[in-house]
Amino acid sequence: MSKGVSVSPQDWASDQDFLRREAVAGERRIKRHSRQTRWTHGITIVCCLLLCVSGLFVFVPALGQVLGAQAVFTIRMSHRVIGAVFVLVPLISAIMAPKGVAHVFKNLFAKWNSDDKKWMLLFFPYLFMAKWIHMPDQDEVKSGQRFADGMLWVAGALMGVTGVLLVLNGWLVDFGGASGVILWLHDLGFLLIAVFGLAHIFLGAGIFQPYRGTIRLMFGDGTVSESDALYHWGHWARKELESGKNVIRK
Amino acid sequence: MSEKAILFDSSKCTACKGCQVACKCWNELPSPTELNACAANFTGTYQNPPDINGITRLIISFNETEPAAALATKPIGWAFGRRSCQHCDNAPCVAVCPHGALTQDPDTGFVNVDQAQCVGCGYCSSACPFDVPRYDGGDGPLAQLHLEKCTGCLDRVRHGMEPACVATCQPDALTFGDRDELVATAREKVAWLRERGYENACVAGDSEDYPTHVLHVLKYGCEAHGMVEHPQVPATVEMTRVMKPITGALSGLTVVGLAAMFGLAAGYKRSKLAYNPETGDTIDVDKGVVVKQGDGQDEMSVMEHITENIGRKGGR
Repeated sequence: MSKGVSVSPQDWASDQDFLRREAVAGERRIKRHSRQTRWTHGITIVCCLLLCVSGLFVFVPALGQVLGAQAVFTIRMSHRVIGAVFVLVPLISAIMAPKGVAHVFKNLFAKWNSDDKKWMLLFFPYLFMAKWIHMPDQDEVKSGQRFADGMLWVAGALMGVTGVLLVLNGWLVDFGGASGVILWLHDLGFLLIAVFGLAHIFLGAGIFQPYRGTIRLMFGDGTVSESDALYHWGHWARKELESGKNVIRK
Repeated sequence: MSEKAILFDSSKCTACKGCQVACKCWNELPSPTELNACAANFTGTYQNPPDINGITRLIISFNETEPAAALATKPIGWAFGRRSCQHCDNAPCVAVCPHGALTQDPDTGFVNVDQAQCVGCGYCSSACPFDVPRYDGGDGPLAQLHLEKCTGCLDRVRHGMEPACVATCQPDALTFGDRDELVATAREKVAWLRERGYENACVAGDSEDYPTHVLHVLKYGCEAHGMVEHPQVPATVEMTRVMKPITGALSGLTVVGLAAMFGLAAGYKRSKLAYNPETGDTIDVDKGVVVKQGDGQDEMSVMEHITENIGRKGGR
């Protein structure tokens, strides 16, 4: 969006007038995530991080041996308790807000338009050349975000389901040889969580400079500034700014 | 010390269960006194308990078969088996144990258990082709389980003694010694049995495909004695084994990649944007120019996007 486009003198005057009004009216922000969404996301993130750490103590012998078997046992049991929270909180949240779940999945499976495809093709070059590449506008959820979020959903579900099965195995059910497959799928889920989770944190927490401020979406008040919204989700931002339904001033 | 083995000769076994008792006594394992302990219902079998479990490392199995033609007057044919850890060479349970609780003794080849290191993860159970590892320690999702399985009485062997089961075996159905010698002994015995009409007699545990440190002379054949004829290590064992380095490598690559992205984007700045709904113009507030009119789809090609600002100092 670095190059200017020519506009009619009337529009130009209107734009100048608009900018003068905006300068004194205060920053426009768009509400993006509800309090329930932020709490669900926050609890899930804390659980996920604790699960990764506690899982590593079982998975990596050197780490476990530093603490000793008794401590590892305690960590392993905490892994089960935290795992239960990790599974239950999103489920309870989904039951409390089924329309929200439908909205999330509608966005995840939305048809990719030309901007979506172009954005995805440009994403990897952009990550290394953010100063030079401007990205096409996006709807409420970027195409790459749909893919990455989708992978996190799949990995989270895989971890949750296989985790529950592993707890049940030997206690209420005997899966026999299938338990090896379940364990492997649990490991695979961790691999996906590790890779996509790291990327998600890097971008979502705004560690990547062009994404500065995005942490406020989930760990702040759930709003995004007009400027950031136009940069990240241009099509969505314009729709929201035109409707004004979710726009607040700060 | 050369590699050791235990040889079980089913043709000598009287199923007295002395080995079971000796195992319990030496390893100080409890012995429930209920009828056919651990079975849900009385099944009529002499096999007791029905299978190895969290407090029983060894059982003699009573496999019922059709009586041999020469013994047609008898109502049943019994093929006794010795069910316990087979102490595999390159044991898959050792390979998957994430916590070093299972180790292969380099001197004897026996698979040892350090219960203090066991975290009860169950990886070994899923890897064992003989379905041997069992857990003790209670019930429920938060129970502190620990692995129970035969260790080959390494604590005795290291002090020059035979394993407890071998030491107590009255009919000499169990022998302890150098593996190579016992393999030769077992093969000789099978040849001897075959000469006497037991054409299904075989040795288990001596194959080069899957050698173990418990050898069996099975008078009526593998199947009759309830022995696994072709042990197969589940494919998940190898898959689980490669997951660690793959996960480590991909996570490391991801971190390195992200660090590179962070470094390359250092000093990134962008102009403030605003949208005027009245005109449909998206305005670069800092530069005071309209950067987009309306909300149409982007018309530049991917290559144009990549190259449009290259060469400009400081980027866009």
